[in-house]
Amino acid sequence: MQWSIAKAFPGTVLCLAVVLSACAGDGSDPAEDTLQAALLTSGPVSDAGWYAGAYEGLLLIEDSLGAQVSHQQTATPAEFDEAFLAYGSSGYDLIFAHGFEYQDAAIRAGSRFPDATIVVSGGGRVADNVVPLIFRLEEGSYLAGMAAGTLTQAGIVGMVGGVAIPPARGTFVAFEAGVRAVNPDIEVLETFTGDWNDVSAAKEAAVAQLSRGADVIIHNLDAASFGVFQAVREAVADGRRVRAIGMNSDQNDVAPDVIIGSAVIYIPQAFLETARRWEAGNVGGEPIYASIREGVIDFVFNPELLGELPEGLVQEIADARDQIRSGELEVPRVRFVEGDDDPPSGGSE
Amino acid sequence: MTSALVRLEGIERRFGAVMALSGADLALRPGEVHGVLGANGAGKSTLFNVLGGLLRPDAGRIEVGGKAVILASPRDAWSHGIGLVHQHFTLVPRLTVLENLALGTRGPGGRPGAVRDAALEVIGRTGLSVPLDEAVEELGVGDRQRVEILKALLRDPRILVLDEPTAVLTPAEAAGLFDLLRDLAGDGRAVALVAHKVDEVLEVSDRLTVLRDGTSVLTCSREETSEAEIVRAMVGDDDVDAAALGLGDRAGPRGVVGQHESRIVAELVGVRVAGRGGSGLDGVDISVRAGEIVGVAGVDGNGQRELAAVLAGRLAPESGTARLPEAVGFISQDRSREGLVADFDLTENVALAFQRKAGFRSGSWLRWEALEGAAEEIRRRHDVQAPSVRTLASSLSGGNQQRVIVGRELEMAGDLLVAENPTRGLDIAAAAFVHEELQRLASDGVAVVLISTDLDEVLTLSHRIMAIARGGLREVEEAHRTRQGVGSLMLGTDDRNG
Amino acid sequence: MAEAPAQAVGRMRLVESLVLGAAALALTAGVGAVLLLLGGYDPMAAAAAMVRGAFGSWTAFTSITLVRSVPLILTGLAVAFAFRAGVWNIGAEGQLYAGALAAVWVGLQAATLPPLLLLPLVLSASLVAGGLWALVPTLMRLRLGVGEVITTILMNFVGIYLAAYMVHGPLQERRGVFPQTDALPEAGRLPALLPGTALHWGFALSLLLAGALAVALRYSRFGFQLRAVGASPEAASVAGRIDVGRILFVAFLGSGAIAGMAGGVQVSGVTFALYEDLSPGWGYTAIAVALLAGLNPAGVVVTGVLFGALQAGAGAMQRDAGIPASWVGVVEALVILAVLCLDRVRRRVGKEAS
Repeated sequence: MQWSIAKAFPGTVLCLAVVLSACAGDGSDPAEDTLQAALLTSGPVSDAGWYAGAYEGLLLIEDSLGAQVSHQQTATPAEFDEAFLAYGSSGYDLIFAHGFEYQDAAIRAGSRFPDATIVVSGGGRVADNVVPLIFRLEEGSYLAGMAAGTLTQAGIVGMVGGVAIPPARGTFVAFEAGVRAVNPDIEVLETFTGDWNDVSAAKEAAVAQLSRGADVIIHNLDAASFGVFQAVREAVADGRRVRAIGMNSDQNDVAPDVIIGSAVIYIPQAFLETARRWEAGNVGGEPIYASIREGVIDFVFNPELLGELPEGLVQEIADARDQIRSGELEVPRVRFVEGDDDPPSGGSE
Repeated sequence: MTSALVRLEGIERRFGAVMALSGADLALRPGEVHGVLGANGAGKSTLFNVLGGLLRPDAGRIEVGGKAVILASPRDAWSHGIGLVHQHFTLVPRLTVLENLALGTRGPGGRPGAVRDAALEVIGRTGLSVPLDEAVEELGVGDRQRVEILKALLRDPRILVLDEPTAVLTPAEAAGLFDLLRDLAGDGRAVALVAHKVDEVLEVSDRLTVLRDGTSVLTCSREETSEAEIVRAMVGDDDVDAAALGLGDRAGPRGVVGQHESRIVAELVGVRVAGRGGSGLDGVDISVRAGEIVGVAGVDGNGQRELAAVLAGRLAPESGTARLPEAVGFISQDRSREGLVADFDLTENVALAFQRKAGFRSGSWLRWEALEGAAEEIRRRHDVQAPSVRTLASSLSGGNQQRVIVGRELEMAGDLLVAENPTRGLDIAAAAFVHEELQRLASDGVAVVLISTDLDEVLTLSHRIMAIARGGLREVEEAHRTRQGVGSLMLGTDDRNG
Repeated sequence: MAEAPAQAVGRMRLVESLVLGAAALALTAGVGAVLLLLGGYDPMAAAAAMVRGAFGSWTAFTSITLVRSVPLILTGLAVAFAFRAGVWNIGAEGQLYAGALAAVWVGLQAATLPPLLLLPLVLSASLVAGGLWALVPTLMRLRLGVGEVITTILMNFVGIYLAAYMVHGPLQERRGVFPQTDALPEAGRLPALLPGTALHWGFALSLLLAGALAVALRYSRFGFQLRAVGASPEAASVAGRIDVGRILFVAFLGSGAIAGMAGGVQVSGVTFALYEDLSPGWGYTAIAVALLAGLNPAGVVVTGVLFGALQAGAGAMQRDAGIPASWVGVVEALVILAVLCLDRVRRRVGKEAS
């Protein structure tokens, strides 16, 4: 008959028990007054973008506020609840859930662990101790659109996105508005691959847009952004004059030969700022917004390629930035947070 | 005796707890045909595999041309001039004969042109005729056997070893094979013939070795021995009565013992079915009465499998009518594939069929105590050599497997038992057991259809004999009840309307 | 099915299993430690976190380890059931998605029904959908002779992408913002099995199902016929006079239904809504779970919990020992490899001994 691990299991369990007792008592509790901050991401923090920024933010909180920090990368929705449970029952005070996908589990965890505060990046649901952290990245994206509209020679620009969630669509809506502010006749291509981290899908989408004539491409992706940059690089190697624009974090040095600039969220600063507000008792019940005004969002040119910019562009962008900061210029956006003005019905495409 | 081409001494080989070989000796001299005899489970196949480099012995010494060698792989065996002809075909059915030969000689890159020349040369020298450009799947078993031999001869072995080569041949084909073996030995080769049929081996061999329980118990030249002595050596029982083993009076017709008056149990009229790999059935009529054994003789591939399947109720005729009893016992010729589940123990193998019988189930559940009791009963009554009914079928010898199957199917047979080559590959004692059981069943009033390629078996057991050839079935008249008479009907050489 | 009752044998097996269990742990620990050291991480902290994360507290064991084991046990049972019949159903993943999709759809459609009606309805929907998802490969195998390994794998893609389409399109939450469905109403959710934990009734359900399958395979006529077909379709047909096609049909659809229920249980017990990445590949891990258990339903419970513990411990390695997910993945794979190797060794030892 079949021999199997099932029959070896009693032995394994016994051995485990021995190891377990050896490890017991290892769970030292941190001092009562230390801030405990945790971060959940559903992608690798090595993406040089969205997740990396969050991880840097966590480390910044550790350094600046002396917090005890922890990070977990989750894979499926089932793990969201589990991770909240693990952090919540370990007494973590502040849990950054870095993505809209955590919002339902965050609401559930929030009611189970009333002493914890959960900040959901890009989330849409609000509770007393569960707040969305909304990045007005569309403001930076608008400036990127102005730059792209000025730079394009073909009159065609492209956008490659991951999942078409409202915050992502919002950046593209704003980008398109920025492009048209320069020249209303420019054609804007848009592709969502459905995956933030699928490098080859992103590359294919970028290649397709390049072959349709686009000569400036922006993305809103995570790890998959490398695929876009690679596609642009290969087009340059083929003798075409094309450029990419980075997004989420300052990606200028990821591909300094082809990235003209990046629409950035200074996620670390946003996280640190949020942690400070939490310590001051100012987090709860309403979304936290992070925009150009707070210095968390910006568009930055790649210093290595400054030489190829047309005269006056840098100044135009700086002027627009000031207008946005002062409220003089309103960037179109896609609304998606509960209670944030009106429902998002038609605000997008 | 330094003249031996290959010499095996004190070969031992065990599989788990079973000693398959425990001190086997064998010496093959140039110019001789050497018969290797033994009951099933005596170690013949293991010895064959050791010679061919397929199994490494645990102990013992192998010499080729007087020098000790290690045969770690079939390639080693080849390089020492040892060629094997397996009992089971090793040909690729879809490929042509020539392509199969090329595979055998040079690997996938063999050049058919060169292979064809070599093949034609061997055919010219030996008279082994096979259609080189025919797909193997189109060939009959006799032809396939010749292809196997041709494949072995292409490498010009000095030592040729054949495992049960006549199992699938007609008497005439077997006689032709023996002539060929004699010729090959005449060229100075050593030919070893592994077999279990004593008369065949005596017919062709110069010398012979008898294995019993993994040990060589008798080695002598043909002149020095007798059939009775060999059988005693094989069975290991000095009191063995050759007649009881079915050796005496082989061709003696049993005659019809008044069964014509009994009721017809099963009847096929004008049954046609398409063939599966051989001929189908082409308008077959047969009726079987309670208490009689009807023998169906024929060469493999002439519709026997289809006939057995129809009689067992497993295959519906495409046209014609089949009137069959409710419960039919069926002994498949393919013991290990169709008769048993190798990974099941004896109880489960009995349950395999008995799960249909009343008394062994209640509702959706099987009554395992009852099944275990039935298995125990079969084991005891049919003398199955197994430690318990919880022994896996795969660890039994072929003979003991067949005892389980026969025991089970006798119980399954309400009015009819269909037996398909029930003694193929069995040793004498096991074959005799099967024969006795069939006869006993018939005398208990059950109708038995014995489909067999073993002409002797059919002649010995049957009340009536039918010959099957190319999907047609003909009753053999009393006057033709001889090897030659039935043999010619089997080959279909006799005019069908004659 | 035979059991050797002799006490001496039992004691030998216990000793043997202890030795092998210790060897498995030692081997894994050794290789894992070396790897972690190479990556600059503390292996002792990692091991401690792993054990604590899986077994360290009542909450960890019930709310994480056991919760994780439920989909693994259910899909493992689905795979074991099919494999026992000789049906190579590699499609548990797709069947799971089909089941989850149907459960959510029915749960949202009939949201106003009381719990006594809605919950059974939701779970039945997942059973039926999983079975239907297996129907296409079943018919292709039985009618056309197309091998089910390829067709079930292809149906996985269809299932996964169908779920993705549904949460972006027809079944997207009413607000139309995020790619997920609305949450099931309370009446459609599996209640907690142990109060104060996240462990839901799906765990009890999976234990019941494992027990039922074990008994059915061992004692029922159908279960025996199924095992016979799996062990040798020829012998089952000839010696067993069994309608092999019928058994294959039932086994294939049954396997699909169980895998479908795994999806239903997951949405109704854990996530409450359907998301794109509902499964991290349970349907594939299930194959390892089932094979490791010797295709034995009771064994599947054990290996399912083992894998659940491993995954729970992996999460804790990230949280408590600060080891990145990719390293954790490597260690996790190592553990599985070590267990597989030792299992193989053990089988060989067992064979020699018997």
